[in-house]
Amino acid sequence: MEFKKVLVPVVGSEADGEAMKLACRLAKKDKGKVWAVSVVAIKRVLPLDAEIDSEIRSAEDVLDSVESVAEEEDYEVETDVLQAREVGPAIVDEAVERGVDIILMGITYKRRFGQFNLGNVVPYVLKNSPCPVILYQQ
Amino acid sequence: MYIIVVGGGRLGYYLLKALLNEGHEVLVLEKDVRVCKTITDELGSVCFRGDGCEASTLAEVGTGRADMLVAVTGDDEDNLVACQVAKHKHNVPRTIARLRNPQNAALFKKLGVDVTISTTDIIIETIEREVPTHPLTQLMSLDEKGLVIVDVKISTESTTVGKMVKELSLPKESKLALIIPHEGSTHVPAANTVLRAGDQIIAVTSPETKEALRAALRGI
Amino acid sequence: MKIIIMGCGRVGARFASLMDEDGHEVTVLDNDTYSFRRLPASFGGTALFGNGIDEEAQKRAGIEEADVFVALTQGDNRNVMSCQIAKHVFNVPRVMCRIYDPLREEMYSALGLETISPTKVFAQLLKDKIDKKEEKAED
Repeated sequence: MEFKKVLVPVVGSEADGEAMKLACRLAKKDKGKVWAVSVVAIKRVLPLDAEIDSEIRSAEDVLDSVESVAEEEDYEVETDVLQAREVGPAIVDEAVERGVDIILMGITYKRRFGQFNLGNVVPYVLKNSPCPVILYQQ
Repeated sequence: MYIIVVGGGRLGYYLLKALLNEGHEVLVLEKDVRVCKTITDELGSVCFRGDGCEASTLAEVGTGRADMLVAVTGDDEDNLVACQVAKHKHNVPRTIARLRNPQNAALFKKLGVDVTISTTDIIIETIEREVPTHPLTQLMSLDEKGLVIVDVKISTESTTVGKMVKELSLPKESKLALIIPHEGSTHVPAANTVLRAGDQIIAVTSPETKEALRAALRGI
Repeated sequence: MKIIIMGCGRVGARFASLMDEDGHEVTVLDNDTYSFRRLPASFGGTALFGNGIDEEAQKRAGIEEADVFVALTQGDNRNVMSCQIAKHVFNVPRVMCRIYDPLREEMYSALGLETISPTKVFAQLLKDKIDKKEEKAED
């Protein structure tokens, strides 16, 4: 398996850092490229191109923190803020557009209504991804 | 334009595709989670699961900034309520409802729905157009003006053949727009234009005077 | 009074028999004849098969002479549509509409329908009962 192009979607959870570390280490041996993306979901009340400064800033903060993780690993990553209606489709579209070999996502153990829950994004990506997906659960 | 489509059935699905192709921002509201999934998997984030008749759902999807709401569920009552909520709660400038029962058209207009579409009526109009012997065909209906555009055929049996336009007693609301003769070029009728067998006359009239116009033009 | 009731569920049937007992002329409309089993044997009014959101069915039920029209089906939208027909097409003097969804109920009430939301009424009723108990306990 090659790791020439790795996409790391981040959301600001504790698992982001570890996922980034793992992505850097995997990409290193193939001298692959690592992209970290953070998706800003725009509510339907606003047009898709609306600029919500606070959300964009927090997305950039998340990207800054994984960038510093990559620096510690002595690896360079490219970062990008995406704006979309829904997170799952935005990640899948990005993976298709960039033609990545793999998507690597960090997730934390979450409960909803008292039960283990993966949310909407992860199942959507698993179902619709054009490439293999690695999930890292903290 | 931002267009909201209520109902993700077959009609809603193809409408969504067509409107997306035209470059509009479109969102389908659909109650059934499976239908939603199918649409989202194929076309991306253009489907929202929820009841399009509920004011809260409509608020969540930003109906306030929508230019148009089209209700195409299979139930007339749901289409009516979706349009009314959009209009009265969210000030959507234009609402369109699909009708199952064509008799509901007048009621829906009265209750504030801007445009109604009945498949039954469309099929009937098409059938009329396809039957060549039919002397009067409705080509189009201008709902807001309360007018229709019709096509009347003059046959050899018409007693008006050879008469001039000014000799005809046309209903007040009617205007002749165009004469398409069997042979020769299309022309705009004047007072002294003579009717010939095989002429096709395009006219504007009110729906109520349609038949009177036909009788005046054909004389039978 | 001549009363037309659309929907012969538990509420519809009970309301119909109450009004019938008081000597009113009652017609109950439902699109499922099985629902009429809920009417008591003593019911003296008319039970009619028909779809209340159809103008023809409303005419058959005698809407043109009706004093009151009440919509009590399970569907909020069906109730809303039938009431608007009764009010705006047939000018029935009193039209009452059950709407479960409180938001929809508020809107149609603002649009001039006489509406009742059982959801709102019942939740409030429960709260009032509890509040009263607590007040008593405090005394």
